[in-house]
Amino acid sequence: MAKSAERTFTRPNMKPQFNPPRLRKTVVEMAFAGNAVHLGCAFSIIELLACLYGRHMRYDEKNANDPIRDYLVLSKGHGVMAQYACLYELGWLERDDIDKYFHDGSRLKGLSDAHVPGCEVTSGTLGHGLSVGVGLALAAARGKTGQKCYAVVGDGEINEGAIWEAMLFAAHAKLDNLMVIVDANGFQAMGTTDEVMKLGDLNAKFSAFDFDVLSVDGHDMNAISAAVEKLEAMKNGRPKALVAKTVKGKGVSYMENVNAWHYSRLNPDLYAQALREIEGASA
Amino acid sequence: MRVAFSNALVEAATQDERVVLLTGDHGYALFDEFRKRCPNQYINAGIAEQNMVGVAAGLAKAGLRPIVYGLSAFVPVRVLEQIKIDVCYEKLPVIFTGDGAGLVYSTLGTSHQSFEDIACLRAVPHIEIMSPCDAHELTACFRMALAQEGPVYFRMGKADIGPIHSALPRLQRGGLVQVRAGSHPVVLIATGSMVKTARALGDELDASVWSAPWIKPLDDAQLGALAADAKAFVTLEEHSFAGGLGGAVVESIAEATPIPVLRIGIGERFSETCGSHAHAMREHGLDLATVRERVMPFAAKWKAP
Repeated sequence: MAKSAERTFTRPNMKPQFNPPRLRKTVVEMAFAGNAVHLGCAFSIIELLACLYGRHMRYDEKNANDPIRDYLVLSKGHGVMAQYACLYELGWLERDDIDKYFHDGSRLKGLSDAHVPGCEVTSGTLGHGLSVGVGLALAAARGKTGQKCYAVVGDGEINEGAIWEAMLFAAHAKLDNLMVIVDANGFQAMGTTDEVMKLGDLNAKFSAFDFDVLSVDGHDMNAISAAVEKLEAMKNGRPKALVAKTVKGKGVSYMENVNAWHYSRLNPDLYAQALREIEGASA
Repeated sequence: MRVAFSNALVEAATQDERVVLLTGDHGYALFDEFRKRCPNQYINAGIAEQNMVGVAAGLAKAGLRPIVYGLSAFVPVRVLEQIKIDVCYEKLPVIFTGDGAGLVYSTLGTSHQSFEDIACLRAVPHIEIMSPCDAHELTACFRMALAQEGPVYFRMGKADIGPIHSALPRLQRGGLVQVRAGSHPVVLIATGSMVKTARALGDELDASVWSAPWIKPLDDAQLGALAADAKAFVTLEEHSFAGGLGGAVVESIAEATPIPVLRIGIGERFSETCGSHAHAMREHGLDLATVRERVMPFAAKWKAP
């Protein structure tokens, strides 16, 4: 599967601005400007969002509220800087939004907020976004609009009971236009997912809930796109789940798999090093 | 009142195909007619209220007009955060109907009794709170709720206590509706099931009685004018005396036209015993005799002209 899918993916149709180092650079600039936390949580989903915005989602770049857009629901709202970086590339956010992150009177918050153009849900209180995404997918299915909904949840977020309610409902409602994408970075705020609340075999759990499920390396853009396409080709009335194995803090050496970067902040030296590493990766 | 509610739902759904009814596996017989007439607009979302409210938010974002049905112990109280974050923050047009409010489920105990629902929602921005007193008011209120641009909590309490109004009342957003006029300087303001009790006491005192189909917003100008003409108010509700109609009335008049207000409601206690609704009302001091014992000495401080 991988070989033919990779050939398919090498078609030059990825929108070039959704380039992971470029997105990570924006995140680091924001985080430094705002003395913000949640860097690690944003870095684990950069490639996932790049693929969705750059290749799979259909939307009107001139209108964030286009009523027939595909939906990206960031249920793990604490990864929102990764989404901001994408929205900035779309021109839905301004340079000032990046440079004045968290400054008094600014509009971008530390968690996903539905008042921001391009953010579908207000999240960060976890376990909310998936249900809203299910409602969006249900409305699209009822109206036969062809719209899809991609809901990005954290593996830690799956502790929330409402996630399981939403999974049951999505399968019962036969929402094959819904894809739950799990950012499986293996960590949550206070430890690894296994230490805090053992998740076990997540693929098996999704399967047991009547989802079509695939696992993927969440930083391999070719593999992500191949998996998304393979899942979407299954128009069988079953909702989809993509379990993306990711690295919390991916892209900056001192953050990778260091859970402190859920809450740690940049200082000038760390900021400079992060930029050097990211720019090195893009060279 | 339940027939009126069923009719209102069917009327809403047949007139507007965007209307979708979601229930958390409650209200079986209540929805017989709806399911027969509008099967494609009916969703049993299962015993999963948090998800149900999130789904309703998603449907509303996509342009539908969801009506979420639950018992008021669950909708809104169990799902308060979903209502706040997923619906109210975006001012989405979702109607939440909380059935069996107050002490209706007298035999089922604390899990199904709800007298904190109004208080919970009053501090949440953008949501309106309606609390009709009879079938006529329910029908008129529901039409107003459907016309709102934002979220509404529709509180339905004891349903079989008979009519207050003789026809559909004319409603104005936030306004009280006069049930009887009177000459006594103490004015009675009640909501839901307690309007009937208020009317009985109003008859005894020859006091004017007003029904409050809205708890939020309240028409401050109307209340202020009433307070300016009255010596005192009595508020009556099958809800906690803290944070409900009584609290809302006091807050409304406190700044410009403060007068004494006796708040009749449920006190700082849960139900301890089991029995009929009438028994539960007696346990909480909301039966006519107990309310009369509190209201009469209060009203006697001000003589009728």
